[in-house]
Amino acid sequence: MMAMLERVQSLLPWAVAAWLLGIGLYAILTSRHYVHLIGCLSVVQASTYVLLLAAGYRHNARAPIFYTHAPSVAVDPVVQALVLTDIVIGATVTALLLALVLQLHKRRGTLDPEKLRPMRS
Amino acid sequence: MTPRVRIAVFALAVLCLLPAFAHVAWHMPPFGAHPLPYGDAINAAGTRERHVTNMISAVNFDYRGFDTLGEEFMLLCAVTGTSILLRGNRGERVDAPQQVPGRPIRDRSDGVVLIARLIGPVTILFGLYVILHAMTTPGGGFQGGVIVASGTLLVFLGEGYRGWRRLMRSKLLDGCEGLGATLYALCGFASMLAGLPFLQNMLPLGEVKDLFSGGLMLLENLGVGMAVAGGFAVLFLEFLEETRVASDGDEEESGG
Amino acid sequence: MSLLISLLFLLVAATGTGVALSRVPRRQVMAMAANGLSLTLLFMALQAPDVAFSELTVGTAALPLLFLIVLASVRADGAAKRPAGKATEAEPEPSPTPGAGAPP
Repeated sequence: MMAMLERVQSLLPWAVAAWLLGIGLYAILTSRHYVHLIGCLSVVQASTYVLLLAAGYRHNARAPIFYTHAPSVAVDPVVQALVLTDIVIGATVTALLLALVLQLHKRRGTLDPEKLRPMRS
Repeated sequence: MTPRVRIAVFALAVLCLLPAFAHVAWHMPPFGAHPLPYGDAINAAGTRERHVTNMISAVNFDYRGFDTLGEEFMLLCAVTGTSILLRGNRGERVDAPQQVPGRPIRDRSDGVVLIARLIGPVTILFGLYVILHAMTTPGGGFQGGVIVASGTLLVFLGEGYRGWRRLMRSKLLDGCEGLGATLYALCGFASMLAGLPFLQNMLPLGEVKDLFSGGLMLLENLGVGMAVAGGFAVLFLEFLEETRVASDGDEEESGG
Repeated sequence: MSLLISLLFLLVAATGTGVALSRVPRRQVMAMAANGLSLTLLFMALQAPDVAFSELTVGTAALPLLFLIVLASVRADGAAKRPAGKATEAEPEPSPTPGAGAPP
């Protein structure tokens, strides 16, 4: 029973990351509004953050900040550095996508991907 | 592709990838017990070699400083792209927000104005504190820069559109962002002038737990902080300008 | 401690699903802020204070604000064009997909 719980707990981070990726992609595929699509893109980005940070975790270890205690066993700082810059830059790229959406609305007047397909403009 | 075909292709991809993913996840080391050789090496050697106590800043600005240079130029490109897209077609008036016809114009409540005026400057000060303490405690240019930019939004809540627009000078913010990115790149070239590889830490490292330790990392951190704060402020400015009246409308704004 | 981390993982999965499945953009913005907050809690539990810092400011303050500004511009643009007789659609309220909420 305890072994089963341990197993589930080991699989949970990967399962959550895969689930977020899958549901985000599905919502992007069936989206009817471009701003909704960009929001789902941020969910897909969040799945990568969860995956990276789960890979760098260690039980009963502290954060890699050695201000109050001497350097000891800590979690991985490399993945944290990756995710940290990624979050801020991802927000900026989302802003660029939103600017594209604004221009699209000014040109075509609608934000529905189904109505904006190239063959029937 | 019709939506049905899209969903069918997606379902096919999921069916093919899911067994492989399940197989890999089943055979991973248990959660919390992965071998982390690179992280352990940096944790053991970082404080001694670079005299900083925040290992994440050491990785960002020293051990993998070149990657952060790339990230910062990604930020610069994204903000430049947004500015080009949104500044193209803008009207002449600069001080009236756009109103949707038929919606009531509400006054800002005094409570919101008071709290925004109290907490806005405190938030900006806190953001500067977070930028400065990159080497000793959790913090750094990336987080502090976004906090500073969010503090200016509190100013927008408190002062309304006209007051906020008077504070945010477009040229000043553009200069701040560009200067930050230039500072980071110049740090690398300064190392090359001293005969060392690009971005090698060549300034005196200082003492551990001191605020100004880490050598060249301080300048890089300052560059990143300025670039991120300036970049996000430019983004907010451009987007809020989009809500401005486009032609010569004559709505009387009383709420902002 | 492990139970807390597992519960936070499940919470992140739930809020992420909420963001993906809310079709009305204005409601999705609030779901995004909730997602940012639960991600922040998860990152704090995984001993990553720097990352939690960035996710908190970006995910709950900066990003929802950008979305709200874009939605306001889009709707004001559409409303301004409609009285002029132009045959464009104002912001479409998407509803044909199953399980969507009613437009406000």
